[in-house]
Amino acid sequence: MEIEELSDLVKKHGKSIYGFCRKLAANQADTDDLYQETFLTAMEKRDQLDANRNPKGFLLSIAVRLRRNHRRKFAWRQRIAPTADLGDAADRLRHPGEETPEEAVLSRELRGKIQAAADGLNDKLKIPLYLYYTADLSVEEIASALRIPVGTVKSRLHQARKTMKERLEAESL
Amino acid sequence: MNESDKWDRMLRQALAADEEPGERLNESLIQRYKERTGMKRGIRKKWSAGALAAVLALAVSVTAYAATQVFSSKEVAERLGEKALAGAFDSADAIEIGRTETSGGYEVTLHGIVSGAGLREIDGPSGISPDRTYAVVSIARQDGSPMPDTSDSEYGQDPFFVSPLVKGLKPWQVNIFTMNGGHAEFVENGVAYRLIECDGVEMFADRGVYLAVSSGSSFFRKEAFAYDERTGEIAPNRDYPGAALLFDLPLDQAKADPAKAETYLRELLKEPSSDAAPKATGEEKPVAAGDGAGSDQPPDSTGDAEADLAKQIEWLHSRIPEGTVIEESVQEVGYDDKGNALYDYDGWQVAIPLEESFPEGLTGDWQVAGFSGDDAGYKVLQFSRDEQGVVKGRILLLN
Repeated sequence: MEIEELSDLVKKHGKSIYGFCRKLAANQADTDDLYQETFLTAMEKRDQLDANRNPKGFLLSIAVRLRRNHRRKFAWRQRIAPTADLGDAADRLRHPGEETPEEAVLSRELRGKIQAAADGLNDKLKIPLYLYYTADLSVEEIASALRIPVGTVKSRLHQARKTMKERLEAESL
Repeated sequence: MNESDKWDRMLRQALAADEEPGERLNESLIQRYKERTGMKRGIRKKWSAGALAAVLALAVSVTAYAATQVFSSKEVAERLGEKALAGAFDSADAIEIGRTETSGGYEVTLHGIVSGAGLREIDGPSGISPDRTYAVVSIARQDGSPMPDTSDSEYGQDPFFVSPLVKGLKPWQVNIFTMNGGHAEFVENGVAYRLIECDGVEMFADRGVYLAVSSGSSFFRKEAFAYDERTGEIAPNRDYPGAALLFDLPLDQAKADPAKAETYLRELLKEPSSDAAPKATGEEKPVAAGDGAGSDQPPDSTGDAEADLAKQIEWLHSRIPEGTVIEESVQEVGYDDKGNALYDYDGWQVAIPLEESFPEGLTGDWQVAGFSGDDAGYKVLQFSRDEQGVVKGRILLLN
């Protein structure tokens, strides 16, 4: 019964949780560990999981907490500003009208540059950003998962976008 | 569609989850869950206290004192940029252990541990706290082949869990993760050195504290260690395919603090309420607001997030005059081929475009490049250019 519960959870939310863990972890081994530990911890807290109307948000909040506890102080050292060549990414950002959204299949290079800029953000900005764009949580769901006010989530998302944009543009100079 | 919408769409595309968990990973997850729940129920019946001693002897095949210890705890801390902590490892209160054991093809050395009194003298802007415990461990391969360097693609493929465990406390509940721990690591001459830290374990000295090391995962694995709920004993699992071993930490029992331990455990084991009010955590420093500037505490939230953020930045700026410069952080920058100034200190690796940071004629003043904060307080990274054009970076503690 419990196994079915876990399988069901993995089937429904595995992809989102894995994608989120992959963004946060330094390598695939850490991703796999964080992913598995997230589900195992969730199963230990099954009562809360059952009571929670948003199992995906609950799982993501566990992943955030596990990762935070793992890194805490030394997380400082992981905050690395993007030093990759972001040159033409900023050109693309400055002239967004040159491509219609429908055609805007991002080049691998540009995608890499944007990802590098996101990786360079501090956790306070990065985690809401990935919860929003990678895990597809709404602002309200992020607020609930991180236990912060909705306004703070909005502010951090705004700040994250702004910082990334500035960095991408600055790197092109 | 305005520019903001386009930018939003681009981010959604670029940051979308592009990797899925493989079938094998999910199968192994289910298997781990089965084993975990199965073991939990089986241990009590399977192991007796006498049998545990035998298991321990078998799992830890060799016990010896390290004949050649490449780095001391102090040197490891120094190499990781923790100079204050290096001094603590050199103090009379530090315990230099130098004990080596082998398991699962690895040779693991517990170099030393320091907590409590040995750290009291350096409590302050260093971020080192007497309420924490710090330990140094090194890991080498038994066959003499080198551990992968941190820059190798192989690095981290066989991850390690290094954590204190307390006798009588469930190790999956009380370990480095739940005790607010972290680690830093480097590899030198094929040996991986790891400095771990977590909440102080001296308070548990009367119970018995182990330092556990296992391979195969960064997290505690019930496959690697058996916990006897009746006796509270923890032992490496002899069937575990990787490394699994325990060191007894020789803590001074006189430093045990059962009352403090009780309070600590009550808090640690408390289940978080799903509808709890928002609270500050390690990453979530209180949002500054109110009359922040001039105060030594971040001001309270006004509820307006944008205003709070602005006031927090204002408050952080107001703390700069009283900030403490980390002297070792004051460094002349290097340059990349695009003319960006490169600053690299203690994990801060920053490239800044010079022209943007130092408009023509701006010399002397320290310009703020960014703030960051964690449990230990806030820090600010600054750059300055002198009249000769020499650019230096530095970090200030804003406690």
